Amino acid sequence: MEIKPHVLVNAVPPYGHVIANEKWRDSALVQSLKGTGNVKTIFEEELGMVDFHLSNKSCILYVSETDIVAGNNYKRKLVRFRNANSSLQGIVVAEKTRLSEQYFPAMQKFVVIELGLTLLPVASQLEASQLLTQMVHMEGKDNPFRKKSVSRLLDPVVMSLVQQIPGVGKVKAVALLQHYSSVIQLCNAETCELETIVGQATAQSIHNFFQKPFF
Amino acid sequence: VAAVSEPPASSSGLVSVLVDSRCITACVDVVSSLRHRHGVTAHVCSLDGCDFVVSDRMAVERQSQSELAGAQNRKRLVERVTSLQGLFDRVCLIIEKERTKPGEVSRPFQRTRYYDSTLASLVRAGIRLLESAGPDESAALLAELARLEQRKGQAISVPLEVKGLRQQALVFYRTLPCVSYVNALNMAQSFRSVSHLVNSPVEALQKGACLSQARAEEIYRSLRYACDITLMNTSTARKNSL
Repeated sequence: MEIKPHVLVNAVPPYGHVIANEKWRDSALVQSLKGTGNVKTIFEEELGMVDFHLSNKSCILYVSETDIVAGNNYKRKLVRFRNANSSLQGIVVAEKTRLSEQYFPAMQKFVVIELGLTLLPVASQLEASQLLTQMVHMEGKDNPFRKKSVSRLLDPVVMSLVQQIPGVGKVKAVALLQHYSSVIQLCNAETCELETIVGQATAQSIHNFFQKPFF
Repeated sequence: VAAVSEPPASSSGLVSVLVDSRCITACVDVVSSLRHRHGVTAHVCSLDGCDFVVSDRMAVERQSQSELAGAQNRKRLVERVTSLQGLFDRVCLIIEKERTKPGEVSRPFQRTRYYDSTLASLVRAGIRLLESAGPDESAALLAELARLEQRKGQAISVPLEVKGLRQQALVFYRTLPCVSYVNALNMAQSFRSVSHLVNSPVEALQKGACLSQARAEEIYRSLRYACDITLMNTSTARKNSL
């Protein structure tokens, strides 16, 4: 059978669903998705080399134990996938079994390090279905690992930056920041001005810290 | 320095990996494998809460499979991963199989729903996952990652020892937001004085510190930020990141 280089890019499965390649229709994986996973499957003939579409622009490329042992075909498929699309996150789910595990390090190097795709090993189709189930059900949830971009106050940062200057502790830092509110102002201040705030020795130390070249 | 029998594959030779001093006890076998089998220069220093740094932009954290499977470690993992994402453009997690003591029968790993959902969340958050069967394989992966980053022109190329005025500057630079240890080392090398860095435009910061534009902008902003001292009653300033 000819592997189509294109994939269905605009296929977005509704929440709680996956779009599966027609070839998976009678598989243990899909049975288990429906049974224990409570994930609904929509079958599609035109998925090309992709096995499952998840929402959020990611898709599963399944590599079976036999594929791994046989070698080069799955590599060609993954390379074609990587070259064909940039908009989909490719997640390779591979069967790491007693038979295929000896090939796993080489496969991981190829998939993750060389191609830059994600690789998730599973022991069987059943484990794959459990993993897919979690991927589908997490769509609606908050991801704790996703850094929320909270704008933080920079005031404490400036305060602690000033305290890194040799000879400047908390009290002097406060005094300095009452006159020069930013690090750049402090950096470009004249030594004689600094002297009136923190005394001669510290003023010299601040000047040296900022202005003295390293070499 | 151990003699390297085979010539390095890449033109620029050795690659460097930074190892956190806090994980040195746990990682001693990984470090010795890095040095002796993979010809990697492993430099031990106090890092920003990650186990390894393999390039200017990539941090690698080593996690045992059982730790990842247990809910009790979740909070710590979330904290580490999110703080690393604030400091590094690329974050990798090496998931290492449990070590079995001699004579002990290895128990098969019980894959739980919790484990799967953690993996799914990490993948969705853009964390790169790698599996390893043990310290030797972890070392091989670290060496691979360091070489990959070297091919992409991101290798750690700055001197790892700093002294005198540069040392003082390094401490200051590390207090800046979004600045990792490697970025600070690059800064200490690229700018001729602290004043030179403070007065530099965003592009120069980006280039000199080897970081992304977004991070360079955050540094630029923090150096010009007008601090309101009346808001500062407690100075428990924590290092914050993008």
